[in-house]
Amino acid sequence: MGRKILFITTDQMRYDAIGANGGRVARTPVIDSLAAEGISYDRAQPQNVVCMPSRATMVTGQNIGTHGVWMNGVPLPVDAPSVAAVLADSGYKTALIGKSHFEPLLDPFLRFEENRQGFTGETEGHRGFHHMELATHGAVGFTHYAKWIRDNHPETIGGFFQVLDGNLEVSDVAGGDTGAPQVKVNPIERDWYHTDWVANRTIAWLDGLEADDDWFCWMSFPDPHHPWDPPASETHRVNWRDLDLPEGYPQDAATREAIIDSKPRHWRLWYDGELVGNYEAPAKWVPATLTAEQILEVNALVHVENELIDEAIGQVLQAIAARGWADDLDVVFTTDHGEFQGDFGFLFKGPYHVDSLMRLPLIWRPAPSAGGGLDAVARVSQPVGLINLAPTFCAIAGVDVPEWMEGSPLPVDDADAQARGFERVLTEWDSRQPDGTAMHLRSITRDGMVCTTYRPGTVHDGTEGELYDLANDPLMHVNLWDDPARRSLRDELLLDLAANFVEPIEMRHAQAPV
Amino acid sequence: MATLRTHARIQRSADDVWKVVGDPSRIIEWFPGLDAVTVEDGVRTLTTKSGLPVFEDIVTLDHDIRRFQYSITGPLPVTYHLGTMDVIDDGQPGCLLMYSTEIVPEPMAFVLDGVISEGIANLARMLDEHTEEQR
Repeated sequence: MGRKILFITTDQMRYDAIGANGGRVARTPVIDSLAAEGISYDRAQPQNVVCMPSRATMVTGQNIGTHGVWMNGVPLPVDAPSVAAVLADSGYKTALIGKSHFEPLLDPFLRFEENRQGFTGETEGHRGFHHMELATHGAVGFTHYAKWIRDNHPETIGGFFQVLDGNLEVSDVAGGDTGAPQVKVNPIERDWYHTDWVANRTIAWLDGLEADDDWFCWMSFPDPHHPWDPPASETHRVNWRDLDLPEGYPQDAATREAIIDSKPRHWRLWYDGELVGNYEAPAKWVPATLTAEQILEVNALVHVENELIDEAIGQVLQAIAARGWADDLDVVFTTDHGEFQGDFGFLFKGPYHVDSLMRLPLIWRPAPSAGGGLDAVARVSQPVGLINLAPTFCAIAGVDVPEWMEGSPLPVDDADAQARGFERVLTEWDSRQPDGTAMHLRSITRDGMVCTTYRPGTVHDGTEGELYDLANDPLMHVNLWDDPARRSLRDELLLDLAANFVEPIEMRHAQAPV
Repeated sequence: MATLRTHARIQRSADDVWKVVGDPSRIIEWFPGLDAVTVEDGVRTLTTKSGLPVFEDIVTLDHDIRRFQYSITGPLPVTYHLGTMDVIDDGQPGCLLMYSTEIVPEPMAFVLDGVISEGIANLARMLDEHTEEQR
């Protein structure tokens, strides 16, 4: 028997969401205990700050330019390499339960396999996963969760926030106590909400395995991604009136706007509602109208969702322990990208390479039985990326890392990271909206600096950029791009970025907005 | 309003290609994701594999200039749509198939762009194994 792998992802979770990373509101004792027994990565970044590209990197272990999923709506080819297939070939039973999003969600022609299986209820999986039961952020669409809701609790569908409006644009309908966008009181019973559904279906799949099976299970929670509509029965956990505003939100409007104005122009254009650079952000919402109270209410609901995730993970870990697998279990916990949650006066996400969206929680709790130095508790400060996950799963399984994977297994401590050259992590953004708006960001995080350059598009002329000193300016308020004293450092980072960036093989067409 | 355009050179005569394009019921042979199609009284009704019906008014079916135009009327959230297919004998080998779409709201272009491209590629492949598709 080998080691079992439970890969847990959330969607759109910030680094500071959990107690182990300094979060002071959501109670996350289960995740915190994984951190206390394992390795926490304090500078983990996605290779892209939206779902599909980031998840494609997780499953392939490849850069964006190699797997080609350069924006939401671009499908990962069915025959793309997959770590699940590698593990399946070596005898692992494999499953993905929850949100996959390797293929577009919005396709009424049902051209994509994940939608097809969600629509029919088949669970035979693909991409090397023997089993798939899929969910996303609500109860509509072509997922197994939506079908389960339709078949069993159809009266609850209207309780979820309706994400798309009549024009197929992302809605900014306001709700809650404060009129915050995409907030809704959802009367659904907790057991029927997708967080518990994902945990329950994971447990059901595990129950079907033999005791001596080796297995890899990707348990993928759709929360705390917007809309913010957790079960109403649970919202009492965090009263938004009791919260403090995020450190990253300058309350004084003039201060806030001066910070935004020091960044490339698309920041201010979005703030004023003149440009929405990401389809997933509500098309008609104007960030400048966001109030402090709305930020607090959104944050409170996010904390509630994170507590529910933590408890769901606890249930799954209990089920695993009951099967006698606890000693052989590796757990990897992370998310696909972050969320503004009020930083700079924004919600949601988009072409903005700041820590709100780029700094992720990442914890690896190696199997207690693993030995070989993996029982040491560590915090790794060197930069790592989600590109390192697939090779890590191979290493855990004792399988050679395939040549097509472009990362290497996660370091177990800083000494290991330094010895193996974990110096930098790259994050990129490309988008082309139906109206022609195109933006192209390339970022490198290295030596405590984050440097972003903008290639020419419809908003930028190619001269713009951002440079932040994380040690002295962790909130990323001071853009040093044009600081003469930092010019040589900036140029050095840009050269390093260019030397390590993987250019795309082709820019395939988006097949859906998301 | 979003505009989509695609075209393909097909190594068959314009008359041969028009036999397929000019028969609105034959869309099921080449357009992906369809379970059924009916044409009645100037209305084409598609049923997608997800069970969604798509109602289309046939705007133009001109056999002389080999032009087919249709307009989605529902229930997709479309406030304006015009799809145009032209089969052109341009004096070059084979013929040229042109497909353009104008649509409001703009996000619908994302939904249709990929499926139309796939459909045109299917049609070209169906009619001639060797085609030079360009976008």
